[in-house]
Amino acid sequence: MKKLIMTLGLALLIAGCNATTPSKPMSLKEQYEAKLAATQAAVEKAASVEGEWRDIRWKKSKKKYLPSAIKAAEAGDYEKALKLLDIAEFQAKMGYQQAMAEKNAGPHLYGM
Amino acid sequence: MKKIVTLLLSAGLVATATQAFSSPQEDLQKFRTYFEQKFPGMKLDDFGNGSYALDESKRIQWESMEEFPPYDEFVDKGREIWEKPFKNGKSFASCFGSDPSKVRVKYPHWDSKTQQVVTLEGDINKCLKENGEKPFGWKKGPIAWLSAFFGYEARGQKINVKIPNDPKALEAYEHGRHFFYAKRGQLNMACADCHVKYPGHFIRGNLLSTALGQTTHFPVYRAKWAKKSKDGDGMGTLHRRYGGCNKQVRARPFKAQSKVYRDLEFFHQYMSNGLTINAPGYRE
Repeated sequence: MKKLIMTLGLALLIAGCNATTPSKPMSLKEQYEAKLAATQAAVEKAASVEGEWRDIRWKKSKKKYLPSAIKAAEAGDYEKALKLLDIAEFQAKMGYQQAMAEKNAGPHLYGM
Repeated sequence: MKKIVTLLLSAGLVATATQAFSSPQEDLQKFRTYFEQKFPGMKLDDFGNGSYALDESKRIQWESMEEFPPYDEFVDKGREIWEKPFKNGKSFASCFGSDPSKVRVKYPHWDSKTQQVVTLEGDINKCLKENGEKPFGWKKGPIAWLSAFFGYEARGQKINVKIPNDPKALEAYEHGRHFFYAKRGQLNMACADCHVKYPGHFIRGNLLSTALGQTTHFPVYRAKWAKKSKDGDGMGTLHRRYGGCNKQVRARPFKAQSKVYRDLEFFHQYMSNGLTINAPGYRE
């Protein structure tokens, strides 16, 4: 009986420790770094199929979401950077999907 | 049952393959027929006048502009570039031959040695480099002036692009064709949406022109470009226009003279084979 109580106690202790020490949340900077890498990969993927959209990083775009995000992060505004990266990544993914959907585009689609 | 399914699938595959790999000649025939049916009664060469062939009042305005065309001074500048010798004593004639009226009709063409599409602007800069001169910028300024001069000298001749029966040349043609028909950018629009499906319709204040005949009048003098320029130079190359179109549908433009745009030009110019060169043109 004593052994059983001790085992249960130990089990509860371990469970309790696990519950009270959750994995350390990512800092904004870490979130930004992870998001930046994912966005850059998505942009390159879209570009590889000629599907990149205008406002992601083109130098003459007024928006330039990706460079603007990097600029915001350099100024320490990670929240703004993450918001901009969200847009850039979404546009990159859409550009890739669009290029894939248009793989078989041709005159037959225009009644020729 | 299994046989029927196999047969249907084979038929489907054959049909798809036929659609995807139609020959340039077949494409040209269908392209021409499509526009002739869309605009019945319009003369073939009139397609080279772009939107001015589609709207009477715009045509009147354009004809009055053509009485004293704003591109004239840039054709003259192009002539001066043509005549000016390089530092080594040679001139553009050493690359293009002595008759400037025979230059424009040779472009674009397939170069079997380099396995790529060669454009007029590409060869202008190649000639400069080979003669130890600094190459021109790709989209406007001297390159457009000299190209306009070649176009002006070639007026009255027919576009005659040849697509050789070389797998790589056909691949380049197919790449250009695919680019033309594929939707792109945030607005999800293809070149063909505006210039095959909706020519004659307005997009904001602009009347859309037909893809047939679009290349006959390039390079062009655009009033819009002249307005942007400090010195009123509205001249620009075909690739400058491609970049502008891609930008307008919110796709990232490719670089002028990139493989993508050279292949697009190969297809685009070929589709206007048989039309009379009337470059340079004036556009809004």
